[in-house]
Amino acid sequence: MKIVQANAGALTNFEVLDFLRSRGASTDPTRVIAPVAPSEFKVYDYLVQSAVCNQTRESINEFLKRCEKYDLANAEKLNIINIRPSSLVEIDPIIEECEKRMKSEDVEELVEMVVQVLPEHPASVGIERGTDVDKISPDQELMEAN
Amino acid sequence: MFFLSLIEHTLCLPPHLLNLPLDEAIKGELETLFLDKVIPNLGLCISIYDIRDIKDGFIYPGDGASTYTVQFRLVMFRPFVGEIIVGKLKSSDANGLKLSISFFDDIHIPVHLLPNPSSLMPNPENKHQGVWSWEFQDEQYPIDGKDEIRFRVHSISYPPIPIEQEKEAKPFAPMVITGSLDYDGLGPISWWV
Repeated sequence: MKIVQANAGALTNFEVLDFLRSRGASTDPTRVIAPVAPSEFKVYDYLVQSAVCNQTRESINEFLKRCEKYDLANAEKLNIINIRPSSLVEIDPIIEECEKRMKSEDVEELVEMVVQVLPEHPASVGIERGTDVDKISPDQELMEAN
Repeated sequence: MFFLSLIEHTLCLPPHLLNLPLDEAIKGELETLFLDKVIPNLGLCISIYDIRDIKDGFIYPGDGASTYTVQFRLVMFRPFVGEIIVGKLKSSDANGLKLSISFFDDIHIPVHLLPNPSSLMPNPENKHQGVWSWEFQDEQYPIDGKDEIRFRVHSISYPPIPIEQEKEAKPFAPMVITGSLDYDGLGPISWWV
């Protein structure tokens, strides 16, 4: 076995989920017939109950376009897309040297943009969020109405 | 968390697979070989992403199987240092915490990377286990298994395969992730929401 290229590109959790879905993985009982191995199913189960299950390609592209002005490293953008931080304290461990690189208004703007552009995690709809009380995104309004 | 890796491998296709179309047969063989296995310094192989190139289908004299050189991409699980991952608590004892994400279990948070200051409340039934809790502003925040824990990857190590193991030792872990909880925003999600 020869490793031609150890790193041929990073994948977001959403891309792996999409790839497994296109092979036929799903959460209902028809899974036993799909050509997907049990170990791949474990990865699918983990991704489905994380924050990426509602993401779409368009929302990720939109996020990447809008975060260009903050000058984030690729690793930081990947972390944000995978974790979807919804408050200042959640984004703090993701961005290195947060206080030196960005002023606190910029960080708040970034958090609000993340909450608006990337879809909500379905399990966390009922939890209060201190920074987002004034600006509720359309996704949140719909879910809270339900 | 996931990367693509381009690998080239020479593989032997056993004759009983000759009735299948070539790429299906090769994909099946590659899956048996690589899926759910750890490649040192590359990570845990999750899935075959695609097959780029198949060549050289020749047959060695005296052998019924044909040999192909295949170039393909694998989806590897290899978190980078500094990545934030969400996992569940598996066990906690005097050495630290053990977390698991459903497909990978060997995530270890040693005592010196727990939030500072933390203290261990030993479990009266089993003296090797206990509940760690963090003291912050005169309040105790225990790390129990109720909700998911966010940790930052500190380092990944690939210990070499041991030649001998004692009978009672735990099964060998080819890939071990060391994580840290020592930062704002890390630890059980209920602490920060």
